Amino acid sequence: MAAETQVLSPVAAASRRATPTGIAVRALAALPLLLLVLLLPLQSQTFGQDASYAAIFVIVGLSMNVLTGYTGQISLGHQAFVGLGALVAANVVNTGIASPDPFTFAMGMLTAAAASAAVALLLGAVALRIRGLYLALVTLVFGATFADTIFTLPSLNGQDAGVSAYRPDAIAGEYRYYLFALAMVLLCYYVDVCVRRSKVGRGLIALRDNELVAAAFGVNVLGYKLLAFTISGAMAGLAGGIFAFRSQLFSDKDFLSVSGFNLALTFVVIAVVGGLANRGGVIAAAIFFALVNPFMEWFAGQTHWGTFYGNNKFYISNVIGAVLLLQTVILNPGGLGQVIRPFARWFSGHKFTLHDPDGGAGVGAMEGSNVRA
Amino acid sequence: MTSVLAGASFDASNNILAPLINGIANGAAYGLIGLGLVLLYKSNRIFNFAQGEFASVGAIVAYVFTAGTGVLPDLPYFVAAFLGLVAAVGVALLTERLVIRPMFERAKVILVVGTVGVALLLIGLEGLLPYPKAQALPTIGQVFGTQDFVGRISNIPILYQDIAKLVMLVVLAAAAFLFFRYTGTGTAILAVSQDATAARVVGISVERISLISWGIAGLLGGVAGILLAVPPSGITPGGFTGTTLTVAFSAAVLGGMTSLPGAFVGGIALGLIEAFANADFALVPGLSTVKQGAELAVFVVLLVVLLVRPRGLLGREA
Repeated sequence: MAAETQVLSPVAAASRRATPTGIAVRALAALPLLLLVLLLPLQSQTFGQDASYAAIFVIVGLSMNVLTGYTGQISLGHQAFVGLGALVAANVVNTGIASPDPFTFAMGMLTAAAASAAVALLLGAVALRIRGLYLALVTLVFGATFADTIFTLPSLNGQDAGVSAYRPDAIAGEYRYYLFALAMVLLCYYVDVCVRRSKVGRGLIALRDNELVAAAFGVNVLGYKLLAFTISGAMAGLAGGIFAFRSQLFSDKDFLSVSGFNLALTFVVIAVVGGLANRGGVIAAAIFFALVNPFMEWFAGQTHWGTFYGNNKFYISNVIGAVLLLQTVILNPGGLGQVIRPFARWFSGHKFTLHDPDGGAGVGAMEGSNVRA
Repeated sequence: MTSVLAGASFDASNNILAPLINGIANGAAYGLIGLGLVLLYKSNRIFNFAQGEFASVGAIVAYVFTAGTGVLPDLPYFVAAFLGLVAAVGVALLTERLVIRPMFERAKVILVVGTVGVALLLIGLEGLLPYPKAQALPTIGQVFGTQDFVGRISNIPILYQDIAKLVMLVVLAAAAFLFFRYTGTGTAILAVSQDATAARVVGISVERISLISWGIAGLLGGVAGILLAVPPSGITPGGFTGTTLTVAFSAAVLGGMTSLPGAFVGGIALGLIEAFANADFALVPGLSTVKQGAELAVFVVLLVVLLVRPRGLLGREA
């Protein structure tokens, strides 16, 4: 009995039917968040600077998300890409204490992203042939070596005094510069979404979960990994460019030895604590780790812990990062993203439920991967 | 170019001897840290990024008991060193119980991220605990009340400390090698690393084996820390992780991640490569003009070994 093909109503669509009240309620709930993002940095110069710092961290977090979350490759040397972006942007614009015209500034940002992408491509072409855990080792040594050899060249770091990076007049103020950084965040977010939704993104997830199976289904494993590495490098470079013009000075010291190593580990911590392959979680974690130091500084200043905090800033942030990292990997593999998931789902138009109908896609990131070294 | 010309006017043998002796001395340090890395890779198939901090913990605990700060008893050097070793083993065992054991079934990458977390936590705690910072343990010469060096070879002092490092490295590498080759526990560790389920089936307690292998790694780390935390470098929180650990990893990879004698060979080889890359005369033209020539050389060696011969000089499996 060859019955006519029956068209069922799409079940998924049914649960996210857009009703006027639904949209209105969600818009109303989103309003305070939006105000927080847009108005809080307006309060003072410091708030604006901290907000730009958070934006930079979000971009690096998205960059780690593409590499670690989607592709399952770990990078312990990302400070090299961020630092290279900062170095290139400052040197390309290089107008001394005069403000550059917008075109030069844009070229600086573009070359920053391009340079880091090129270096990532070169490193990836060699290092991605190395399987599994060894890649973590190579990136660790690469990050330290690259920073220590290239960033210390006197012709590039302004004879060890730093390269000044003045902003163009249109975005000279702290708040305006923050808005520029925010626009770049949106750009990177868009790229991240595009990567994830495209054929490439599905290929990356497939090879992350099982390289051999992915290859058997025709995924160009090395090519896709290389693409992810390059995109990640470009984002990190862009973040570096924004970083240089945020402090209006490129200083190699920010990326060398201990501070560089610490930065690299912070980026990994952001990717893991945020939740692997979880965009929203990574963004939340990036904002948290960018703002935790200024907040602690303010908090310590209100109490009699001020001096203690000032002397031990570095170690306190180490302990905070480490405790969050360990509790995430041991107890809560989904990370921050898993915690905020019900709200994120509700905002995207689903019914509010604490039971995750997707079964937490992405929690298994790197779990089933063929990283056996 | 000037450095090449300047080097030519010196005694040529002196010029080669200095990096040779320095290289072997530094290489012993890389080997000592590398030994613990190899042991954990051999038994658990993971990279332990906390190995440098096991060493720091051992050195710091030994230091606070010899320093005579007044708060803690001022103990003889060898008692303090023993307490340092106990502390290092204790931290390693805690790491196993609290971090590694709950993640037995997880991917190795996650375990490695866990060890990074342990390293970060230990660095932070070492920095926050109240004890005099930037100090150093006494050298072997100071402990025995003699001069610091045995003698001089063309005016380069041969330090007792370096000899102790080298001897300890050889002894520990040999002991660990024999442990894996000839004892039941050593064989059981290897069995677990190859197939944990099969090992469990024949009656090996995987949990106990894991605890033992981490304990030994802690002991090796503690020995390394106590021997390396002497002037001029001394003890700083995270000092071993920042400087020694990356090179020790490269050394272990060069020697072969699965070979304990390889840790010795790789350590010495990498120490020599570093020393010659930074030497006054140029083996590779222009390398000594780069600010971090030694670091660059280490990176290139690591990359070439992993691409050409991933099992290293003495390792057996890929």
